[in-house]
Amino acid sequence: MMPGSLQERLEPRVITEFDRPSRRYDPEETVRLRYHVTGTGDAVVRVIERSALWYSEGKGEEDLGVCFFERLTDPQGLPPHTRRGEFAFRLPASPMTYEGTIVKIRWCVRIRLFFVGRRDFVSEHVFDVGELPPVQLPLQPRAVGR
Amino acid sequence: MVSIRLPRLFEKKRGSRRTGSQAWGRAGEACFYAALLAAGMVFTAMLGRRIVEAPGGLASIGLWMWLLTLLLPGALLSIGGSGLARLIHGWGRSEEGMAALRRFPEMFQPSGRASEVEPFPSVPPWENLNNSPGTILRYRLPLESPESWSVFGFGLFAVLWNAVVVLLAVTAGVDFVGGQTDWLLLSILVPFVAIGVAGVVIFVRALVLQTAVGPTQIEIADHPLRPGDRCDVYLGQGGRGMFRRIALSLELEELATFRQGTDTRTERRVVHEIPFAEWRAISIAPGRRFEERASFEVPAEAMHSFASLHNAVTWRIAVHVEPAKWPRFTRHFPIIVLPQRTGPALLNVPPSRLAVVGSGR
Repeated sequence: MMPGSLQERLEPRVITEFDRPSRRYDPEETVRLRYHVTGTGDAVVRVIERSALWYSEGKGEEDLGVCFFERLTDPQGLPPHTRRGEFAFRLPASPMTYEGTIVKIRWCVRIRLFFVGRRDFVSEHVFDVGELPPVQLPLQPRAVGR
Repeated sequence: MVSIRLPRLFEKKRGSRRTGSQAWGRAGEACFYAALLAAGMVFTAMLGRRIVEAPGGLASIGLWMWLLTLLLPGALLSIGGSGLARLIHGWGRSEEGMAALRRFPEMFQPSGRASEVEPFPSVPPWENLNNSPGTILRYRLPLESPESWSVFGFGLFAVLWNAVVVLLAVTAGVDFVGGQTDWLLLSILVPFVAIGVAGVVIFVRALVLQTAVGPTQIEIADHPLRPGDRCDVYLGQGGRGMFRRIALSLELEELATFRQGTDTRTERRVVHEIPFAEWRAISIAPGRRFEERASFEVPAEAMHSFASLHNAVTWRIAVHVEPAKWPRFTRHFPIIVLPQRTGPALLNVPPSRLAVVGSGR
């Protein structure tokens, strides 16, 4: 089967199971999770990247910081059993999940698959660090050119 | 049949986020930087050949002229070379991989070990806020004053502009003394003088507004703070005469920097304002200053201070002053709030180590 026609039918899906169903953790706690990749068909996966990171959302440009990163790779293709796995990482003391008005901070786990001969696929699974209430009653903004 | 998606001529763009193929985008970027690099190499080769073939060689053109001729090819070489190196460095890596590479370069070495990380990642450093001891309380906070930079900018503009005006005026004066009148130069000089005078007036006005009331001093008993902490504050306000009101508040401000077309803009929004002290109808005698103490509490469910490249969440003490004879103003003194204590592990945290990191195989 040709890679181009297979590309249309490829529907990868990553199912994750965190050790805490609420997906809420305190800073410096350890997060453990399992994942299972399905829907890759006969496509050859050459790299799987597993990472935990925070990223900013809101009005500003996106920033991100990685606290855990792992890359499983084999140019000839990873064996099928690598599409199922588990890992753990320890959260740093900051930043905490934050729901501001023009700045928001989210934490997530990303599982990224790199296929041979087609686009990579990334699956993102959000969790919370800390338990800060969302910001309310914003005052008027003032914009400053730079 | 293998289908190839060709690049589109037009695509949507918001900031650094774009639609379209990343591979085509990177290929285009690589072509651009390669062209710059090639142009730089060609220019350098041409210049080198001319200098070698010139009678007298390098000595005949002089060192400064040699450096000047290297400016253009040097810029092309550095921009093209650094751009290509950056692209090659990031080729085939995800954004998480690039971020991890920046933060844990050791992780990509054969040993596969991560480096130690700071105790509070993305919390701004507070050493510069703690290095000035107070006279009454422990720390004297530095003033965050964008107004001072405005005064500096007005002053710099006035000096530079009027230097040009003086140069033109001297040239016109020399011509006039020599019996010649350059009307074109005089017609240029008139608006230049007007702008120069306006620049001086604006600078003097900003300087007077900035310095007329007198300095504000804030000292605090403890720093950095934690959510739920109570802290004593000392206020010292210089100046003389009557003040309608002086008030203190604790503020949380969000700051987001984004690109709009070719402009970079910064939006600020105060999302929490907690007034904690106020004084009215204050009279300050000459040679004295207004001194008071107060205390405030950081909300127990407060967000900690945060700063990344384009986003920030900052805490500060705001001093709102309403003099009787001058416009009201606000001065800000930034403070750092650390994350909530979540257990014994977070008390006096030493530099921690990531528990689990991996290496490329």
